Amino acid sequence: MTQELEADIRCVFAEVWTQDHATEVPALEPDTVLLDTGLDSLGFAIFVSSLDEALGFDPFTLSEDAFYPQTFAEFVAFYERYRPKG
Amino acid sequence: MTPLRRQIAAGDGAHPILGDLDAEALRSGGLADGFGSDARVALCLRDPVQLVRAIAALDGRVEAMLLLSHALAPDTVAVLIERAGMDRLISDRDDLGGAEPVGALFGADRDEGDVPTRWLMTTSGTTGIPKIVPHTLASLSRSVLRLTAGAAPVWGLLYDPTRFAGMQVTLQALIGGGTLVPVDTGAPLAAQVAELACAGVTHLSATPTLWRRLLMVPGVRDLPLRQVTLGGEIVDSATLRTLRAAFPAARITHIYASTEAGVGFSVTDEQAGFPASYLEAAPGGVRMKCVDDILWLRPPVGAEGPVDAEGYISSGDRIRIEGDRALFLGRENGMMNIGGVKVYPEAVEAVVQDVPGVALVQVSGKKSPVTGALVMARVQLEDGADPQAVKRAIIDTCRARLEREAVPAIVRFVDGFTTNAAGKLVRTKGV
Repeated sequence: MTQELEADIRCVFAEVWTQDHATEVPALEPDTVLLDTGLDSLGFAIFVSSLDEALGFDPFTLSEDAFYPQTFAEFVAFYERYRPKG
Repeated sequence: MTPLRRQIAAGDGAHPILGDLDAEALRSGGLADGFGSDARVALCLRDPVQLVRAIAALDGRVEAMLLLSHALAPDTVAVLIERAGMDRLISDRDDLGGAEPVGALFGADRDEGDVPTRWLMTTSGTTGIPKIVPHTLASLSRSVLRLTAGAAPVWGLLYDPTRFAGMQVTLQALIGGGTLVPVDTGAPLAAQVAELACAGVTHLSATPTLWRRLLMVPGVRDLPLRQVTLGGEIVDSATLRTLRAAFPAARITHIYASTEAGVGFSVTDEQAGFPASYLEAAPGGVRMKCVDDILWLRPPVGAEGPVDAEGYISSGDRIRIEGDRALFLGRENGMMNIGGVKVYPEAVEAVVQDVPGVALVQVSGKKSPVTGALVMARVQLEDGADPQAVKRAIIDTCRARLEREAVPAIVRFVDGFTTNAAGKLVRTKGV
C-alpha cells in the first residue's frame, strides 16, 4: 500500500509544482530534503492541502507527534502512519 | 526619555553588538551638522549595521524618523515620505530620487541632544500603501528585558528590523545586552540555519509559519537555542509541542503584539491562546477586555489610533473563552493571515467575480498546518460553464492581479450560497 500512497504523493507534488514553476519537476529520492526541492512555505502548504483533498486526510493536523518530516522517505512514512486503516 | 545611545548595554566588552559596531561606537556616534532638532528624516537602508548606527545617531536629536523597509517599491517610498512630512531621505539604494548616502548622516563623536524623537513605523500589510504608526523609543522598548546575569544572548535577526517585530529583536539586543546577527533572509533556508549555527545564535524570534519551516531543515535541532520566540500569527499547540521536543533547553515564549498597540503580552506555558485570567489582570502593565468576542487592549504608554472612552484599542482579533483559556479564532473583519501576509477576502472576491463563467464567489480561509491558513474560493458557476476551464481562468486571473498569497489555493464549486435579508452573502468566519 505504501507504494500506491507514494505514487499518489508524487503525482500531487508534480501537479502543485507545475502550477507554480515553469521548470521541470524535481526528482524525489528517498533522501531528498523537501525544503531543498524549491517549494517555499506557501508551496508546501498548498502541497499538504492538495494531499488532504486527494487522500482525504492530513497527518500534520492529525499528528500528536512532535515531529516534522525532513526527507521524502520520512514524509511518505508520516503519511503511511496516519492513513486511515480499513 | 533617555535617548537610545545612552541606553545601549555595555555587553561583555569583548564582542561587538552588530557587525563591527560595539557599544562605545553606538554611544558616541554623532550626527552631521545640518540635522537640527526639527529635522524629519526618512531611513531606507538595506544594511542593518548602517540602520542601527543611524537610529542611534538620530534618536534624541531630531524631531522624527521614518523607518522604511528596504523592500518597498520606489513609488511607495515617495508616498510614505510625503504623507509623513519628511524632509530628508537617507538610503543605500540607488533607485530612490532625492536620497542622500548614509555617510551624509554621521558627524563627529559627541553626546548632546535630548529631544523626544518620534519613531514612525509602518505596518506590514502588503496590499496598498502601508499605514504609518507613530511610536517613541519608550513605546517600542516597553517590553525589553534588561539582562543582568548569565551569558550574553546572541540574537538571530530573521525579521526586517524596520518592522515592529524586527525592531523588538533589535532593541532587545541593543538595550537588553547581547549580540545581533542579521541573517540574509533571501538565501535558502538551509543556508540561513547554517549562518545562525555559525554565529552561535542562542535566541531566535520568528513567526509560527517560519518556525514550522525551520523545523524541517536538517540540523536545526543542533542550534544551541535558549530562547524560542513566536509572534505575528496565531500559535497552535502542535507547533509549540514540536518546538519543545526540538529545543529541550529553550524557554518558549509567544508574544501577542501589533504595530498599533505595541506588545500586548507574552505567554510561556506552552499552550495555545492565553490564560483567561489575563482579562482580569494581565502581566506587563497592559489591560485587556473582551467585548462581543473581540479582544481590546489598553497599553500602559497609550495606544495609537481610535481608543474607546476607557482608553482601550480594539485588536480586531476574535477570541473564545474555553474554561480557563482564551483562544484566538481569527480576525473580526475576515482578514486572513497567510503565512504572515494579510489577505482580505473582499479583494480576492472582486477579482474572481470578474472571471467569465463565475456567477457568485465567496472567499474564506481554510486552516493550514503549514501557513496557518490558505485562501479558499467557493464558486457558483453560470449555467453551462465548464468547471475545469473556469478554475484555470480563476487561477490565471488571480495570479496576474493579486499577490501570490492571495491566489486561491483551493477552488470548490458549490450549487448555491446562503444570502441574508439584505441579499448579501453570509460570510463564514475566517480562520
